[in-house]
Formats: sequence, C-alpha cells, structure tokens
Amino acid sequence: MPSVAQKQQLQQPEAARPMHESRGTTPRSSMEELGVGGGGGGLGGGGGGVSGMIKKMKRRLSWTIKGGRPLDESLSELAEHLTIEDTSNSNDATNTMTLNYGRPMSVPLTHNGVVHENPRIGLDGEGEEVPGTTDEKGDVISTVRMRNRQRRLSEEVTKRLSLPADIRLPENFLARSTISLSPDGQLSRRSRRKSLSEIGFGKIESYTKLDKLGEGTYATVFKGKSRLTDSLVALKEIRLEHEEGAPCTAIREVSLLRDLKHANIVTLHDIIHTDKSLTLVFEYLEKDLKQYMDDCGNIMSMTNVKIFLFQLLRGLNYCHKRRVLHRDLKPQNLLINERGELKLADFGLARAKSIPTKTYSNEVVTLWYRPPDVLLGSTEYSTPIDMWGVGCIFYEMACGRPLFPGSTVEDELHLIFKTLGTPTEDSLPSISRNQDFLAYNFPHYQGEALITIAPRLDSDGLDLLAKFLKYNAKIRVSAADGLKHSFFNSLGPGVHMLPDTVSVFTVSGISLHRDPGIRSSAVASAGKLRRQSMLF
Amino acid sequence: MGESEPRVHFRVIRFMHEAGLRLHVGSIPMATACVVYHKFFCDYSINDYDPYLIGSTALYLAGKVEEQHLKLRDIVNVCYKTLHRRKPALEIGETFNALHESIPSCELLISRCLRFKVVFVHPHKHLLHYLKSLESWFPRDEWAGVPIASTAWSLLKDSYHSRVCLKYPPQHLAVAVIYLALLSYGREVPYNKYADTPWWKAFCDDITLPIIHTIIKDITTTYEMEITV
Repeated sequence: MPSVAQKQQLQQPEAARPMHESRGTTPRSSMEELGVGGGGGGLGGGGGGVSGMIKKMKRRLSWTIKGGRPLDESLSELAEHLTIEDTSNSNDATNTMTLNYGRPMSVPLTHNGVVHENPRIGLDGEGEEVPGTTDEKGDVISTVRMRNRQRRLSEEVTKRLSLPADIRLPENFLARSTISLSPDGQLSRRSRRKSLSEIGFGKIESYTKLDKLGEGTYATVFKGKSRLTDSLVALKEIRLEHEEGAPCTAIREVSLLRDLKHANIVTLHDIIHTDKSLTLVFEYLEKDLKQYMDDCGNIMSMTNVKIFLFQLLRGLNYCHKRRVLHRDLKPQNLLINERGELKLADFGLARAKSIPTKTYSNEVVTLWYRPPDVLLGSTEYSTPIDMWGVGCIFYEMACGRPLFPGSTVEDELHLIFKTLGTPTEDSLPSISRNQDFLAYNFPHYQGEALITIAPRLDSDGLDLLAKFLKYNAKIRVSAADGLKHSFFNSLGPGVHMLPDTVSVFTVSGISLHRDPGIRSSAVASAGKLRRQSMLF
Repeated sequence: MGESEPRVHFRVIRFMHEAGLRLHVGSIPMATACVVYHKFFCDYSINDYDPYLIGSTALYLAGKVEEQHLKLRDIVNVCYKTLHRRKPALEIGETFNALHESIPSCELLISRCLRFKVVFVHPHKHLLHYLKSLESWFPRDEWAGVPIASTAWSLLKDSYHSRVCLKYPPQHLAVAVIYLALLSYGREVPYNKYADTPWWKAFCDDITLPIIHTIIKDITTTYEMEITV
C-alpha cells in the first residue's frame, strides 16, 4: 500500500509522457528489428502521489460501478475463448445484462468530479447514437447526486465508452480533418510516397523472377534468384487490387512468420511492397512433401517417415509454444530440401467460422486433414486442431495413400467414422447434442483396427498414430509429447537436445535412406534434366 | 498545433473507442488497434500524418489481425459519422471513394512502418486468469459485493489512451490494474499480510511493488489528462 507520507505531486502529464522523437527519417532495411517504442519513459521523478490519486480514482470509480455489476459480455466472450470451464462470472453477466450495449463497463469519468448528465438519455436506451452530452454542467450536479440510484440504468447506456460519451470535437478540428481526409486522397498518396523514400525497404530489382511454381488463393508463387546473395528464393506475390486492401491472411502470415525462427519453419527473408503487390521472399526448397511422395512412388523408407514426422512435430512444437497455430497442415505445405530438411510453410489460414469448400479462385479446399470437431462446426481453435492433420500426414507417408480423402464435409466425416468408428459420448463428449452430427444421421460403425489399415507400422508407430487420431481434442497428443514418444527412440537422444535453429541432420547417424519406391536413377536424373530445361 | 501530443493521442483514442463501439469491435481487436496507433506515432511525427486517418486505419487493420474482419465500407461510414457528428451521413461520392481508397493504402503504410509486426500479446488474458484465481481466494460475499473485476477491466481498457500499453509487459499491467481496483475499493486480498509471497508475486514472478506503483501512476495520469482534454 502506498504510504501516506508520499505526498509528492505527480508530474504533469506532458512531462510524464515524453515525446518520442521522430525517428522516421532514417532508412532502415526491411528486416531490421523495430525497436519497441514507448520505452524509456521519463517517470524518473515522482515516486509518490499514489494515495492522492487513489482517492480521486475511488471517488470517480464509485459513481457507476457501485452496484457490483458483474463481468460483461466481452469478458465472458474472452473466458469462452480461453475455454475456462467455470464460467460463473460470465453466466452472471449474461443473466443480468439486459442492455445490449453493456460493453466494457465504463469507469465513469467526470469533469471535476461531476457526472455529466443528459436528460434525454433515459429515452435513448436502444439508440445507436451516443448522445452528445450537454454542457449544462453546473445545473446537473445536484440532480446527479440525488438521483444517482435511479439513474444507473441510463448511465450504463450513456457510458458505453469507458471515457465520457460527450465526444464533441471542436470546430477547428473539424476543419482540419476535412482537409486531411480530403476528397482527392492527397494525404495517403503523399504519405505513401514519403514512406517509400523514408524506409529503405526491399527492392524488387534485387530479385530475378524465374518460373512460376503455383497459384494460391490470393498469391502467386514464383521461383526466383536473389541478386544479393545469389541464392534461390521463393517469391510469393500478393495482389493488392482487391478492394479491401491487403488480405487478412497475408497480414497474419507475415506478422506471425517474422517471429518464428526455427530449423523446421520456412524463413522469411524479405518483404517487398510495390504499388500493385506485396511480395514475400522466402527461402527456396526443392519440393513439398506431396511431390516427394509422388517421386518415390508413394513408398517411403520407414526411417525417412520417422525423420520427417519428427521434424514436423519439432516445428509445430515451436509454433504451439508461441501460441501460433498452423491451421492448414497438408503435405503441400510441408517443404523439403535435398538434404531432407522439412519445413512448415503457408501460415495464416483464416480462422474459418464455417469451413470454406472453395477459394476465391474456385479451387477446392482440401478437407482431408481437418479434424472431425472442426468438420462438425467447432470454432474452438486450439493447438490440437493441428495434431489431427499430423496423424493423417503420418499415415499417408507410412502407407502411401491419403487416410481420409473425402470430397465433401459429409463424405469426409463418413470416411473418418467408417475407419475409426462413429463417435460416442465416450470418445467425443457432447457429440449427442451436436446438431450437425445428428442431422447427418450416420450409421453406427464399429471402426477398424489401425493395424489392418496401416500394416507397415510397428506397434510404437500404431500407438502414436492412435494418439493423433483421438476424437476428443483434449486428449489428442500434443506436439511436445509426440516428440517424446518411443517411436522416435531409434533416432537417439541427440535429436532432443538441439537448439531451435539447428537441423536434425547435424546429429550424427541421422540421414535420409534411399526410398524403396524411388525410380531408377536414370529416370530420376532425366526428370531432373527436364525440369531444369524448363527452367532456363 | 497548440496542443500537446499526448492530448491529441488521447482524443484520437477516444474517437477510436467510440467508432469501435459502433462497429461492435471486441476488446482484443480494440486493444490491438490502440497498440498499432501508439506504435506508429512512437516512430513518426504527428505533424506528418493525420492521426484520425491513422486511428481509423488501425481499427481496420486490427480487425484483420484479430480475424474479426470489418468491412471497409462500415469503417469509412462510421468513422466519418463519428468525426462529423453534425453532418449528414456520408453518401457514395467523391469523399466516400477517397476515404475508401485512402484506408487500404494507409493500412499498408502502417504495416510497413511497424515492420509488419502487428500481432501483440495483450494483458486481457492474463487479467482474466488472475481475476479467476483471486475470486476463489476471496470470501464469496465479499467478491460479489465489490466490482473488482469490472473495475480492473475498465482500468485496463482506459489505459490504452496513453502509451502505458507499450511501456510494460502484459502481466505487469494486469497485476497493476487489479492492485489499483482493490485499492480504489479499499479491499485487500485475504491473508495477504501473513503470506510469504504477496499475491502479485504469486501471479507474476518479476513484479515488485515499486513497479506496480509506477504503472498505477501512469494510469492515473491518463485520468488526470481526461479532465483537461
């Protein structure tokens, strides 16, 4: 508790919040770290004054929230998001919350300790308009205090904003904003130009575009070469002509990938922004897991399966520890280089409220790696959603065919249930109340033993596979626990002690084996030549 | 300009909160928008960019980052109406189109200025967990009688009017707003006096009383400013 002796006055707000010098004029390279702003802080002096502040705070605070108003909607929404079982608070909130606009609770802020009141407010319970509060401050002081109790309801309505509702902007501001948000969009053009010269961002001239590798939902991927480092790169070109600006997935992908530095996650080298596009420059890897499996005739060496699966879990564990979900794991998103290093790519798939079946470019979205809880409409996105996909990919590598190649949501679920058994309350709690599930009216399947569908797997492998394919997301194995599974014992203890950015292939004894299904060397090299001739 | 920078920011954030409310923006995207806004003006001068355009765009960008996508059209209309309270609602026309184009390009500008680092960890989750724990430490009647939770939540929300959110780790902020809420109602965590570890240490290892006091002072400064803005 702050001592009463601390009577020292607080500094003036201006002093307490030192201006940050504009550092905008120094060009910086795109990948340079942004120094966290706002640091420093000139709060040197002071030390006290807290108790005085508290008194004031207390006086203000006690105005509206006196009546033990429980947590509101947003808090309960957050609680739900955090999947806290005990939601007593939020239940209270929904019960007592009669007002639609019971947004965060408003510390009532008063001018000189006076609650503003607008007599019209009471009538405006439903109104979307935040009433422009009047300025007859002097007149209402007494009424406010006297009628405080009856007024609580209306106050709640007016104080939907934490801070006063009377945001009446002064005239001079209006004049200014008309200029700045001007009809010809002058500001944005000017600022864009300015920012281009200010920031020494990656330049498109630094990269040579080679052949096109593929086209995604909102981007085209090219193989390219960096003139700076002479190395191959993948250029993901995001078109910006879309009306709503940069796609949400692109923004998320970039901001997520920036912070992920791991041997099993694709590295983002550079970001280039031009007028019409945003280009992400990634390290280049020869193929994805799908091509890899095709090239070896879908018969992989079990050692390689193990090494790939281990790397997949390693990358995923790193993401999950940072609360980053991949959300779209599939063999096409796992890139592999010649050394056999596997890297996660294509982050940032939008959190889908409903499962999209087609993309903008009318391309079918694969459902093969989606967990049943998501297929049945669960919107609770947490780390286990990635683990189901890991199980499907594991099976596909080991057995040479996709585990559940469904073409529609119903077909996908049908295939899953046929193999693993129709879920019951035991295997998937509250399934009997899932409307989607009931509507499909699936027959009751017993399911098959995993050994019959995955004969190539040993008992450890089957055990691990079963742990990935749990209906109940809560008991599905995590990436961290998966890594410790006895299936990986044969890789030796060294693989568990690697720093994040070091590849598993640095551990002695770890190397890719020749895949039994690989075509004869003559054919393979011919194929390679063919690819190369297309390249140049 | 005649007005100090923190005051301008205060006004803009207040504008953002109001627009956000009308757009039904959740607490988390709102917090993201505020952090984006503050970060931007830590690095760039307020004289070079219109803070209200940056503010509106921050809301739009935050919607994308937090996957509660807002329609550009709604942003334009609501922000315009919030700023120009007395004018009639914006009609499709030159002004509308100009704003409709400005926001996406401004969005890219902000993204670039922030080096595309637009995903943040907010104190909200921590606060919620701490409050959940505290609830079980308090006698039921006492907890129900005082709106500690909602007060702490409000304090946190209001703290975004200044740069407090950039200066301290989320855990520290969460602890500080609880501390301030308890203080405001003159409550103490039961048996805290006798405990070996004070409650704030139990929540967050590296927090100390002086840190809490510093944060509280920062937050209360915001309220002081509110009187004069």
